Amino acid sequence: MKTQAHTHIDRRDPETVMRLSRLGSLHQCRLSFMRQLTRRMARENWSFSRPVFDIDANGVGTAVYTAHGPERAYSLVAFAHDLPPEKRSDRVIADAWDATFALFDGIPTQADIERLSKNVPLQETGRVSETELSLSRANRSVRLWEHVVDALAAGQQPDLQQIYQVGYLMRTTAVYGSGKFGAADRENIANRPETCAPFQAEMLSVYLTRAFVRDLVQHIADAKGGDQAAKLDPDIAHWLGIGNSTGLGMAPFIVNHPILFNNWVMAREEAIARVRSVETSSAAEVDHFRSTFERSQLSMTWWRSEHPLQIEKLAALNADLQAISDYVDQVGLTGNHPWDRLVSWSQTKLSEEGQEYLASLILEPYADLVDGLASCMADGNAEAFVIDGSMPISEVRDLIRDAFGWAVDLDWASRENCARAWYVSEEKLEPRMGERFEEPIADYEQPLAPARDAAAAHAMLSEWDDGQPVAEFLLRHPEHRHTVRRAQMTRSAPYGEIRDNTIGATVVPLDMLRAKLSFFGATHFDPRSDRWVRICMYAGAPYPEELTSENADLWVYPEVPA
Amino acid sequence: MSFSLNEMEATAKRATRGAGYSWGQAEEASKAVRWLCAQGLDGAEILARLLTLGLASDLATHRPRQVDGPWQSDGRLCPLSAGPLLSDCAYLLKTAPVEMRDVVAPELLLPFAANAARVLKCWISVEIDGSLAVTDGDHLAVLDVLPAAARRVTVSQGVAPEALRNRHTRAQPAPRNWDVLNRFAHQTYAPATEESRLLGAGAGLSDND
Repeated sequence: MKTQAHTHIDRRDPETVMRLSRLGSLHQCRLSFMRQLTRRMARENWSFSRPVFDIDANGVGTAVYTAHGPERAYSLVAFAHDLPPEKRSDRVIADAWDATFALFDGIPTQADIERLSKNVPLQETGRVSETELSLSRANRSVRLWEHVVDALAAGQQPDLQQIYQVGYLMRTTAVYGSGKFGAADRENIANRPETCAPFQAEMLSVYLTRAFVRDLVQHIADAKGGDQAAKLDPDIAHWLGIGNSTGLGMAPFIVNHPILFNNWVMAREEAIARVRSVETSSAAEVDHFRSTFERSQLSMTWWRSEHPLQIEKLAALNADLQAISDYVDQVGLTGNHPWDRLVSWSQTKLSEEGQEYLASLILEPYADLVDGLASCMADGNAEAFVIDGSMPISEVRDLIRDAFGWAVDLDWASRENCARAWYVSEEKLEPRMGERFEEPIADYEQPLAPARDAAAAHAMLSEWDDGQPVAEFLLRHPEHRHTVRRAQMTRSAPYGEIRDNTIGATVVPLDMLRAKLSFFGATHFDPRSDRWVRICMYAGAPYPEELTSENADLWVYPEVPA
Repeated sequence: MSFSLNEMEATAKRATRGAGYSWGQAEEASKAVRWLCAQGLDGAEILARLLTLGLASDLATHRPRQVDGPWQSDGRLCPLSAGPLLSDCAYLLKTAPVEMRDVVAPELLLPFAANAARVLKCWISVEIDGSLAVTDGDHLAVLDVLPAAARRVTVSQGVAPEALRNRHTRAQPAPRNWDVLNRFAHQTYAPATEESRLLGAGAGLSDND
């Protein structure tokens, strides 16, 4: 029987959802961009090929991996390098990497590969063109790489425990898309079914990168071990994801794209509301939830971090997992509105990390209610940028108060409320965050404190007549244009604004990174400081040649070994 | 060199901010330049020409004195004040044309007229000292060579033209204009210090693991 949606349970209040600590506790879910991609590729029966693998015994050379969709093909062009250890840095200041990549729109000719070989290894200082959809690079996890090469070369399989704990052989340190460094603009591919959802080209690039890295480690082990080298057991290879190291460069994205970010959050909130509105659950749905819950707990045991903030959150999450288990055993998931009761219970009994984990997990049995929302996650609303100057001053003030009520009365002159400032460094042209009162950065501040700016605009607007159109105000006060624009955007994008201070003394930029990465489908967040984080992508996923509708979706939850 | 429209937009935003305009105007200028480039016009040249005039040092002198009546300022009218006002006040065009006097870089008004066309769901014509451009928001027809400065601009509801410009997906700025924009953009970058290098990007741990 088809599940009926009765959406009488409202979406959660943006005031609750959009706090930084909660955004910094989000987990992947059915709507995550990686899972959207693998589901689509399986559903559409994509095929994969490796037309070029020209790598020497030292691991230096070129490879091409092509994904063939129903209408178009996409190719990862990979360059493998010999990187001295002292050059290995995850940070954006690096200028050499173990491997560099471009995602080519189609199938590259030899001339394309030649052109890319002169540019892709240079990354930010090279140029790509309109036929490239992304530019990226990756470094080895030295410990795991050496372990896997040595084991295979000696004719043995690598140790699974080490694989679980590191999670990947290489981690990407940037995946640039959307017109960066000369690549094709997002608009060029936004109308294609397979790349309409956000970040699908980037996710495909990482998916193919994972296959390349598996092949590369085997190739090097074969070269080292000769005839006695072992073939990597496919069941072990599954647990090799691709790492990613993400820094502050990503944090401003969710502030700079309020409509897009709203669409991600709102799709997930709508999904949660739909499942909470389910009146009764079937036995199959309860079984699905229980089995996914079991499987996800295994993944959680592999989640390690040395960062004090995350250690604390993981301890709370582990307690939460036990509490959920107890609830499911004792209260059960039958009766009226079981998911709503579970979520309501979690709101008082679990940490935010646990609440958001659970909110994502209850979506799993309900593909039919949830998966269609994926089509709402792109930003197709360019009109929202245009300010409506006919709006009366009073209405603009109301909009500001709705989204930033907490900020309007805050003392923004107080040092702790504006201790930080976001700026772009001359050196790498990348966003950074600094101490406003200790470094000479205030003059270079980026507009990444919407709440402070909203409070300033609100105060200035109060000096104007309520009924006057805002156009006249904006003519005199162009410094408030960006704030009025954002305020008007909140009408269609209630989840577009972070309801917290992004420049306060205690802001943790990590929360902004995690929010974005969770929508990609990242797992195992491992902060390396308060402003950069390592994550794992595609661990447990089928490799391209194994992808089927059966394994295309739930790979993120490992099967419990028999 | 061929640039993506995103690169053009990002550079135009930083350049406009670096030249002294507000962030909101910088956002609008960057979208405007992108739109011009997508129409095959030289958005980089137009913005570079405007920013070089240095109007941002005294913006109040270069914006319309009031919303009613012909838009004129005490000095030359800046399209990054008049353009956003035109887009904000698209509703005015429903009843009467908007007239402007003594506008520099008037080509920059076109993307804002395009906003108005989208809001009003009609064709908008922009007459710049007798040269005519018409847009429905997404498309543009330019019937004459547009002057680099205008004594008189009239914006009104128009009719669909016969031929439209081809759309472009890349920008091809002349190096000298690209350099001008990047010089202005540079004003927005904080000089690197060793402290900010370590603190600002957050690091310290070895990555060779």
